[in-house]
Amino acid sequence: MKVVVIGGGWAGCAAALQAKKCGAEVILIERTDLLLGLGNVGGIIRNNGRFTAAEEMIALGAGDLFQIADRCARHKNVDFPGHKHATLYDVNIIEAEVRKYLYSMGINILFEKRVVDVEMEGKSIKSVYLHDGTEIEGDVFIETTGSTGPIGNCLRYGNGCSMCILRCPSYGPRISISMRAGVEDLQGLRSDESFGAMSGSCKLEKDSLSKEIREKLDRDGVVVIPVPKEDINMDKLNIKVCQQYALKEFAENIVLLDTGHAKLMTSYYPLEKLRKIPGFERVRFIDPYSGGKANSIRYLSMAPRDNHMKVIGVDNLFVGGEKSGLFVGHTEAIVTGTLAGYNAVRLGIGLNLVELPSTLAVGDIIKFENENKKTLDGLKQRYTFAGAVYFERMKQLDLYTTDIEKIRKKVDGLLLRDFFKNRII
Amino acid sequence: MFRYVDCIDAGTEYCPCHLAEKGECIICSQLRGKNFCDCLNWKGTCIYEEFIWNNKKAKRIREFKEFTIENKRLIRDDLLLLQVSVNPYLAKQLNNIGSYVFLKKPGSPLCFATPVSIMDSDIKNNLITMVVKILGVKTKDLLECKDKVELKGPYWNGIQGQIFLKNLKGNEILIVARGVAAAPCVMAAKKLIKANNKIIVVLEKGRGNGNFAKERFKSLGCEVYDVNMINYNDYSLSEEFKNLLLELIKKNNFKVTISGGSDEFHRLYLNFVYALDKSLKFATVNNAIITCGEGICGSCEVKLDRGIIKSCKQQYNPAEVFINLRGEGRK
Ligand SMILES: Cc1cc2nc3c(=O)[nH]c(=O)nc-3n(C[C@H](O)[C@H](O)[C@H](O)COP(=O)(O)OP(=O)(O)OC[C@H]3O[C@@H](n4cnc5c(N)ncnc54)[C@H](O)[C@@H]3O)c2cc1C
Ligand code: FES
Repeated sequence: MKVVVIGGGWAGCAAALQAKKCGAEVILIERTDLLLGLGNVGGIIRNNGRFTAAEEMIALGAGDLFQIADRCARHKNVDFPGHKHATLYDVNIIEAEVRKYLYSMGINILFEKRVVDVEMEGKSIKSVYLHDGTEIEGDVFIETTGSTGPIGNCLRYGNGCSMCILRCPSYGPRISISMRAGVEDLQGLRSDESFGAMSGSCKLEKDSLSKEIREKLDRDGVVVIPVPKEDINMDKLNIKVCQQYALKEFAENIVLLDTGHAKLMTSYYPLEKLRKIPGFERVRFIDPYSGGKANSIRYLSMAPRDNHMKVIGVDNLFVGGEKSGLFVGHTEAIVTGTLAGYNAVRLGIGLNLVELPSTLAVGDIIKFENENKKTLDGLKQRYTFAGAVYFERMKQLDLYTTDIEKIRKKVDGLLLRDFFKNRII
Repeated sequence: MFRYVDCIDAGTEYCPCHLAEKGECIICSQLRGKNFCDCLNWKGTCIYEEFIWNNKKAKRIREFKEFTIENKRLIRDDLLLLQVSVNPYLAKQLNNIGSYVFLKKPGSPLCFATPVSIMDSDIKNNLITMVVKILGVKTKDLLECKDKVELKGPYWNGIQGQIFLKNLKGNEILIVARGVAAAPCVMAAKKLIKANNKIIVVLEKGRGNGNFAKERFKSLGCEVYDVNMINYNDYSLSEEFKNLLLELIKKNNFKVTISGGSDEFHRLYLNFVYALDKSLKFATVNNAIITCGEGICGSCEVKLDRGIIKSCKQQYNPAEVFINLRGEGRK
């Protein structure tokens, strides 16, 4: 039984890993030379409800990637406006660690290979084609190509290519595999009903900041500096992907987090203006390279799916991460990717597919997002354990807790302890 | 089958072109009336971005310029060898697989423009060499040129299936050519030999002293065979040719074969060798009637199962056009 995973971001890594743990032969195809996709420029985990989600996954037996992220942490238990107990992983080292782990599990990874088309047999995918015409066959396919870019989208719906980590000019554009398989994409909306959303943070080269700021970042993991009054721009909050960070505090303040670089919690910031702030006189952007003018555009390419993560309209295609909905975050990508990997194997060997229970946040978010996406208002929301509508829901439903023991008991009570550890082939 | 969509001009200084301006770009969905990216073939630049940055206008189209004829002689009663000195830019741009130009007699109306393949481009002396078969009105008009000719270029779609010729290194390649279609094969052989490939050429003996390009292939270092390829009574491949192919395919490990002949010949030849080796990839000399070369007039249209393409600009997989796939689920 061969599972082909397309896209090696957090969702793709989680899907490949889970399919392998279930006993399948797994091939993971990534268009760039790096795994983790946007995970190479993120770094925030375990903030707010993400803590609960990570612990639920660990109790369910799918904690591998969270444990790597924990090991790569630069800071734990960091609070910043609107967010509590965050872990900040070091974006400079984590990719190599995840890669090593996937290799050690026996996952076959193809780098610098871009999937460009599918070969169908009725409503099933028989194989995918790489850009050079190579055909790769499989029994079940998982698309985790994210929703970022490519250049044309970043231009039409944003300020142009900002030279982000996905490096389209070097590796070629993301395309929608599900669309090639005949299923129309869905798009997220902004509050003014225009399409897509702009990534909400960028990275500054830490060494270009003042000694004082650097030392505080190294010590506390977070620095908050007020934005000069004349430069406060509330409108920028509306275009942001990350509604959990679209708070007044983020417009009125420069919030920096230490993820190896200094993560600046705003979509983009004109360099001249940024350099007027004390301590920022020599500052430079490191991601996206053109963070002074733009950031990447996301959520223009979601496939309709069911709560098993299977694409509606294709018999053997699953999705995870941003490809599967308006999910924001590493944690959300790992959760959805894991379920996609698990169900892909079940489908491949003819078993019925499973949903995660709604009594767990990781199961509830998958259903909640799917339900909400059906409405116009729902398409304007982003879904994350870390904030906005979904964190509110977690609190209301009493799904949010940082009590690890309580989470374990709950998973035990559902008879799901180490559920994802079982080989099913 | 691999759906191979490629515009030969994509990503060059002639891109975006008028097709983009009119919402008919071959590659870019955003320039084909769609709202989201669905790029059909990435060649290193975003065509939509180039278009926006070019003030939503097509780049300048190629135009006729007058150049000097250095050498012009009949190498057979109906074959004209032409050497033209061009500028360094054209010499370099035309020193590529599949390159061609439009020629016409100075002063003749635009409808006399004839597409002509480049057999060789000498980039030291900026001299291009072509062979023209004198066939009808346009080529007879060319024959009347004295020391000047009008030339428009560069164009590159004279060979289809170029994706299979790219990045070939240290491989064995079989070229099979007849008549004037041998000219673009000489350029292909030259480029492929530069990349350390071994080239074996089978030429049609034809009438007279064999193919005009024979000595050129030899001096490039190709292994050359002469045969009579066709039984003219029923237009089929001759036994002699088939046996030679069998032998060559057994002896060598060909990855790609280039067919230089008419479309009828491509069909016969490709089907025959495909049956011998299903992994073989194909490149074919482009025989379409090319009039404008810019994807506008439509005279070069080729019908594929997935729609009509303009073959002056767009590449196709020759297997998709010429091979009769029986029971192999052509889509
Ligand atoms: C600047 C920034 C900062 C962020 N910070 C955080 C944070 O601190 N915490 C957090 O939780 N979230 C953060 N996020 C969001 C989070 O990174 C994403 O939501 C999550 O990582 C998405 O994962 P994914 O696997 O769905 O998609 P991606 O990470 O987009 O992965 C998709 C992968 O597929 C590959 N691919 C695409 N097309 C093809 C193809 N045709 N063939 C082969 N491969 C292909 C891509 O190269 C890429 O590697 C941040 C995002 C950005 C942009
Ligand atoms: S020759 Fe005019 S469209 Fe191709």
